[in-house]
Amino acid sequence: MIQEFIMAFLPELVLLAGVLAVFVVTLYNDRVARARAVSLATAAALVVSCLITLRSEATLFDGAYRVDLFSQWLKLAFGVGYLAVILLGRRVDDIRPDIRPEFFLFLGISMTGFVFLASSIDAITLVVSLELSSFPLFLLVAMRREREGQRMQMESAIKFMMFGVAANGVMLFGLSYLYGLTSTTSIPLMVQRLQPVIDGPLALAGLGLTFAGLYYKLAVFPFHFWTPDVYQGASNETAGIIASMPKLGAVVILVRFAAAATPDNQLITEILTVLAVASMFYGNLVALVQRDLKRLLGFSTIAHAGYTLLGFVALDEAGFSASLYYMTGYLFMVLACFVVISRVSRDGENVAIEDLHGLHRRSPLLALTMVIGIFALAGIPPFVGFMGKFALLNAAFARGHTVLVILAVINTAIAAYYYLRVVHASFFGDRDATDQMPIALDGSTRALCIGLIAIVILLGVTPAPVIDAITTSLASVVAVP
Amino acid sequence: MSALPTATLPTVLAAASAVGLQHYIALAALLFAIGFVGVLIRRNTLVVYMSLELMLNAAILATVAFTRYNGTVEGNVFVFFIITVAAAEVAVGLAIIVALFRKRHSVDVGDLATLNN
Repeated sequence: MIQEFIMAFLPELVLLAGVLAVFVVTLYNDRVARARAVSLATAAALVVSCLITLRSEATLFDGAYRVDLFSQWLKLAFGVGYLAVILLGRRVDDIRPDIRPEFFLFLGISMTGFVFLASSIDAITLVVSLELSSFPLFLLVAMRREREGQRMQMESAIKFMMFGVAANGVMLFGLSYLYGLTSTTSIPLMVQRLQPVIDGPLALAGLGLTFAGLYYKLAVFPFHFWTPDVYQGASNETAGIIASMPKLGAVVILVRFAAAATPDNQLITEILTVLAVASMFYGNLVALVQRDLKRLLGFSTIAHAGYTLLGFVALDEAGFSASLYYMTGYLFMVLACFVVISRVSRDGENVAIEDLHGLHRRSPLLALTMVIGIFALAGIPPFVGFMGKFALLNAAFARGHTVLVILAVINTAIAAYYYLRVVHASFFGDRDATDQMPIALDGSTRALCIGLIAIVILLGVTPAPVIDAITTSLASVVAVP
Repeated sequence: MSALPTATLPTVLAAASAVGLQHYIALAALLFAIGFVGVLIRRNTLVVYMSLELMLNAAILATVAFTRYNGTVEGNVFVFFIITVAAAEVAVGLAIIVALFRKRHSVDVGDLATLNN
């Protein structure tokens, strides 16, 4: 009995033990290197334990927590992301020196929240793990050091936190309505009992408010306004974390709830269509005029959230698995871009597009990583971004949303313009740029770049097995219990 | 004068027994709306924060009312967790607001407008 529990709960136990160890390390002075080493070991152990428990199945804690293929591959994705983020934060230069070890502590706590989120099938565990994942991120933004020309981190942190807490409040209010309608906090039961009453005003209000809270995390159009400001104000490493993990987490919960609606539900598909189109156009058009690379990625995030919604417009298994596939790929594409940003930035300051000039001579590997990350974001084959968009468009097209598909394709073309500007800067930038110093890369950064490139290409050239695996694992989530 | 409380007590009780689920839900919706509008229009970060708490309390009130009406207990457990989470939220939020005040000597949203498109 206890062995089964440990086997099913192994990744969480490993992570909790690791975070506790990091906490102990932070109690002493001047322990950045050790905090990072412990975090690195924890992340590696998390990845290994996820691989070991990939096939285990169990329902724990009185039905509040389910371990199955769906949750385990998500934990694996989060684990690999965690590993990448620690390698990315090599020296965390831009965090105030006296609180650098805490960077790794808060990162670990946040990751615990995301890993728990993957298995939560009860509103209570869901809310607790969602908050556990987001509170440390508010603090990470505020931890950037203050200096000349860089005084916006507190403002970013306040914006992030205020809107984050407001979104939580909205989501909790929505959940209370859903609970009132279904008299259960178990999400699969809730979804099942919602289906007959889905067109009622209370159900629509509840689902709408719940989704609004999640759209904030995903940065879908009317809930997007924090994204570019937070990316700009946060340190490069922190922005990389905020740009990747919460998006996948939000999509996971959306999939769990969206199973309540059938594909024929006119009202819900119409609302989602409007949100998707607005996000894509807004994100892409504003990104066109950005000069700060992080702000550019911030606006492109909004556009990518719009693409992801295409899968939810379809409201069927193909759509959901396309969204999950796309978001998993997005996690690694955007991390690849942030690796380059963190390394090009000499002292942790923000990077403008012009700063990339001559990158192919200063560091060929970084230039290659940037180009592959950007091409993947732009949706150019053979990278995962292309196959993901293709799967999303296919899912929406199969449900007859032709206009939406055409608008999405137009947006891909708009986005190509600003993405290619970045590529142009890294390869054909000014010959006589002021700074042509080569960028020295250490072994872990090289390994990280090559690893991310490999993942982005591998996920892109083998879409069929990956999407099939996701669809199989979805059976336990979407099917009515 | 002294007879007044005893005279009104039954009236109060009768009125209270007529309070049903819809009254609680209406009150919760009202609290939520006040909180939401407060978040949008108030300029002082602390007042905004109080409005956020109002939104959370609206969710708590609605959940408790639904629990009573449904006759299940899960909702009450949920409420305890919401309260715990809200407490953590206050700790994190006030920490950031205090840090901001130390740097800027102001907690006004209007002073926070350096980040703009």
